[in-house]
Parts: sequence; structure tokens; C-alpha cells
Amino acid sequence: MNWPELDRFEKLVGQLESVYAELSILSKKSPNDAVNPFKLRFVNKLLADSAATLGSDYLPFGDFEQFDSDDIPQNSDVVFILSQYLQCFEKLRADNVVYRHGSWDWEIDAEDDDSADDSGKVYVRSTRPKRLKD
Amino acid sequence: MTLIRPRLTDFHEVLVAQSDLDFAIPFLDEDIPLHVDPFLLWKSPSQQDQALHTAVTNSFNHLNYLLGRDRRGEAREILVAASECAEVGLGHSRKRRGSRIGAAKADEILSLFGAIEDYSKSGFSHFEEIQLYVHGISKDRVSDICCSFLKSFLMDYTTEVCRELGIPLAHVAVPATYDYRKNRFVEDQTAWLPVNPETSSPILVVPKRWLRFNPWINFDEYYRDYCPFDDVFQPDETRDPVRVLRYNRDHYGLVRDYIAAKERTQADCRNDPLFRQIPVSSAKGKLSTIRGLATGKAEGADRKFESATSQLLASLLYPHLDFAAVQSRTDSGVLIRDLIFYNNRSLDFLEEIHTDYGSRQIVFELKNVAEIDRDHINQLNRYLDSGLGMFGVFVTRHALKTAMFKNTVSLWAGQRRCIIALTDDDVSLMVTLLEGRQRPPVDVLKKKYVEFRRACPS
Repeated sequence: MNWPELDRFEKLVGQLESVYAELSILSKKSPNDAVNPFKLRFVNKLLADSAATLGSDYLPFGDFEQFDSDDIPQNSDVVFILSQYLQCFEKLRADNVVYRHGSWDWEIDAEDDDSADDSGKVYVRSTRPKRLKD
Repeated sequence: MTLIRPRLTDFHEVLVAQSDLDFAIPFLDEDIPLHVDPFLLWKSPSQQDQALHTAVTNSFNHLNYLLGRDRRGEAREILVAASECAEVGLGHSRKRRGSRIGAAKADEILSLFGAIEDYSKSGFSHFEEIQLYVHGISKDRVSDICCSFLKSFLMDYTTEVCRELGIPLAHVAVPATYDYRKNRFVEDQTAWLPVNPETSSPILVVPKRWLRFNPWINFDEYYRDYCPFDDVFQPDETRDPVRVLRYNRDHYGLVRDYIAAKERTQADCRNDPLFRQIPVSSAKGKLSTIRGLATGKAEGADRKFESATSQLLASLLYPHLDFAAVQSRTDSGVLIRDLIFYNNRSLDFLEEIHTDYGSRQIVFELKNVAEIDRDHINQLNRYLDSGLGMFGVFVTRHALKTAMFKNTVSLWAGQRRCIIALTDDDVSLMVTLLEGRQRPPVDVLKKKYVEFRRACPS
């Protein structure tokens, strides 16, 4: 992973988590209500950007790309899909963090002005993979 | 092409939703069941409406002037001419034609100027008060008198709004137009107005903001809530409303107090909408009624299904589809009920239905059956042949079986006809959308259409 990819990852995950939180509230209140076309447009944009970042290896479903507004997606549908994407982003992160000196760090390809280690990597503090058991 | 309950706009292919227009769209062959309430003009914040109310009141009070000049015949003639305004098509006539009052009734109304001193001296400030004195004068007559005195304005208004919409106009003579300068009706007026295609008679449109089911000042309410029955009737006497009318003539103070009360509460006086959506709670109630019904005809289930579905769909599809009528027809000895909606192309999907299937109106056939079979599809298909376009909707309980769905797809493939089915689940989703207000319920119809088209061969 390189710096631009990390930037994109963090931005997307932040946005997905925020939309997921918003729609989870709506979904708990009325799971069968429709998501309005305005929100759906941005959810679809996020999904398209996410698919580009995740690549085919991490994409949750090979045959799902975006919601079709004509199908009237419901709150619970969107929450379900977003949670799948968040899980896959977490899997991507788990595969790109290393445990060193007592903390979990992103392993990033160094750029010109970075102080890299012998393997040409720099390390950025992250958190422990969520599915790792104690 | 057939049109059920044709409206002026739909007839001329001007497909706009009623909710988007300032005026009430007239039907071509029947009246709109609303009336012009002069009180709405009086209380309007618009200077134009207030001025028009003044013009109506002045025109009516001019009759008193004529009586004072011993020109009773002229006054009677004016009042009789004012008593019917067929061009506006408001009221309850099934043929857009009413009748004028007779000379005796006109004299009875004119006698009020002599019988009540306040009217004799100052005239009426709300001429609809005549309902409180004269038997047989009700909301439709008040509305017609008001429209007759405003006919000249309504002619200009109609020409203007019709030109804006592109409704074809004809240069026609307009009978009995009130000339405000001459203070009499004239017969030589002509104007560019839309006309009834069958009778060639002119049609006038009326702003929605002037319309109510009942006038704000009306005898029924006066009789119910304000009439001092103890004074009018003996304890065991039958309560005849005509007696109240006579009593009012001798007790003007009662009427004056009633009018004052109505003026005080003017803030509550609003125009009535041409269509009122049922509230969400009521929609949910109707849905649960439908869900609880068995299929078939046992215990009148089919009638209950038809009744609940008609009310529900008319509200769910508003304002994107204006409800036109509930129709009953017989096909092969079977009574069939369907709902007709005007397709005003307010959404891209509805535009497509109009362009691709020639549907100026959309048919929803109600079927409370366990499953739709080939005969049902053929019946609807035949009905569409009568000129209603190539798009039809079943409103039924369960989704079409695979074989029947394939049958509808074949109809599309062979004849470019589109027959889709709304089921209980779809109607339920529509009610959910109505409640959530995130998307319009009509989107469910689009969803079903899109699903159908996906199944069609490309």
C-alpha cells in the first residue's frame, strides 16, 4: 500500500462508517422504508469509489455494483450492503498492518522524503485488526 | 381514443396535474362538485379578489337601486339571468347544464330589499345572506350568481390560462355577460375561449382558491348551530326550515349576528381542495382491511377489496396521477371494476407510458382472486383495445404465476402491450412510502414496470 491509497482508504472508510451510522438509525426505526434518491445517489458514489479501492479480491459480492433507484432500496438493504463493504475494508486493513514494537502499524511504501527502513517501508500507527482474538 | 370522464386539458393532450394548476380543470360532460364561495373573495388578501367581491356585491345591490326607481321588471330580468352560469361547470349537474330561477323566486329575493330596512338602506355586504331568507336558494345558486356577475373577468382569466397551457381557443359568443358599466347583462360579447367539443358552447375556468363544497355563510349551518328553535317553534311543533326563513325576515338581528360571527372566524375559512388525500393512519387501516380479506366473493370480500383499494390508490398515487373514475363493466358475463387515472406525465416513467403505449389514462383493474389466469389477462387486454392505450395494471392479491407472467411478456413481445400486477405487498410498500415520505408511492408502479421490462426480450 502507498500513501495515496492509504489516504483514499481512510477517507472512504470514514464516509462509509458515517453513512452506515446514519442509515442504521433509520433502519432501526423503519427498516422497510425507502432510501430517498438524494441519499441513494451518494451511497452509490461511495460504493463505486469503494469498489475501485477494494479491487476484485476484496469486493464483497462479485455481482453487486450499485443500488438501482428504480428498485426502491430500503433502509435495511442499504445498511446490509454497507456493513459488508465495511467488513471488506477491515479485511484489507488487516492484511496491510503489521505488529511491531507493541503496536499495529500500516506498512507503507516509502516516498522520496520519507525515512524508510531497510525494506523501503514506513510505518503509520493503526489499530489492532478487529477479528484478531486475544 | 377513448377518454373516461374527459377533462378539458386531457382532451386537448395538455397533460398537467391538477395540483400544478391555479384553476380547477373542468370536465367536458359533467360539473365539478364544488362551488364559488363569495366569502373567499371577500376574505382574500388579494386586492383583485376583494375588488371582484365589491363588484359582485355592487351589482347585486344595484337591483335595489332599480327597485327604488320603479324598474322591478328590469331588476327581475337581471336576477333571473344571473341565476345560472353554465359555462363554469360547477355544481352537481351530470350534463353541465342547470336552469335559471323563475320570476316568482326572483321576486321573492327582490322583496328582501323592501322587507328588511338595513338592506333597503345599505344593501347587502354578503349577498349570500339571501340563503337565510329564501327557500330553494342554496350553494349552487349563490355560486352561479357570483360567477355570472364575474363572467367578464372569468372570460379574460380563462383566455389567459388556456393560452399559457396551449389549450385551443375558439372565437365564440358568450351569452349573458354582465356589463359593469351598464349594470345589465348583454348578449353581444364574444371572446377567445375553449369550447365543449360536442356542443361548441364556451367553457370558463375558475381559480381553485375560490372554491368550497359549502359556502362559508350557509343556511344548513345557521339552522344547525345558530337558529333559536325555542323562539321559532312551539314546543311540540314540527321543525320546518321554511319557518326559520320567514322568522329571519322579521328578526334581522339574528342574521346580522350570524354574519358577524362568520366574519370574526374568517381565518378558519379556506378553500376546499379538489382532491383530499386520506391520512396515513387511514391508509394503514385500509391496507389492513385488504390484507384481512379472503380472495373470492365470499362475504362480499370482492366489494370490500374494491372499495378499500379504490380509496387507497386514489390517495397513494396523488398528485402524480389524478383519479378520474371508478368504472364497472361486464365482460363475458363477469362484472369487472376498474379505476381510471389521468396520466398527466408528471414523471419520466409516466411520460414513457404515454409515448410508448399511448396511454392518456391508466386503467387499474381490481381482481380479488387467488390467482390471475389467462382469462383475466385476455379481459384486460380486450378492454385496452377499446382505446385506453396499451398499458394496464392488475391490482390483485398475489404475484402472477410464472406461466401468466410469461404470458404478459409474450403480449409485450408480440403486440407491445404492457400488463403489470400490483400485489398486496406492493400496495403495502406504497403505504410505507406514503408514511416515510422519502419517496412518492407512485415509484412502486415504476418499479413494477421496470421489473417487467427487464423480463422482456431486448
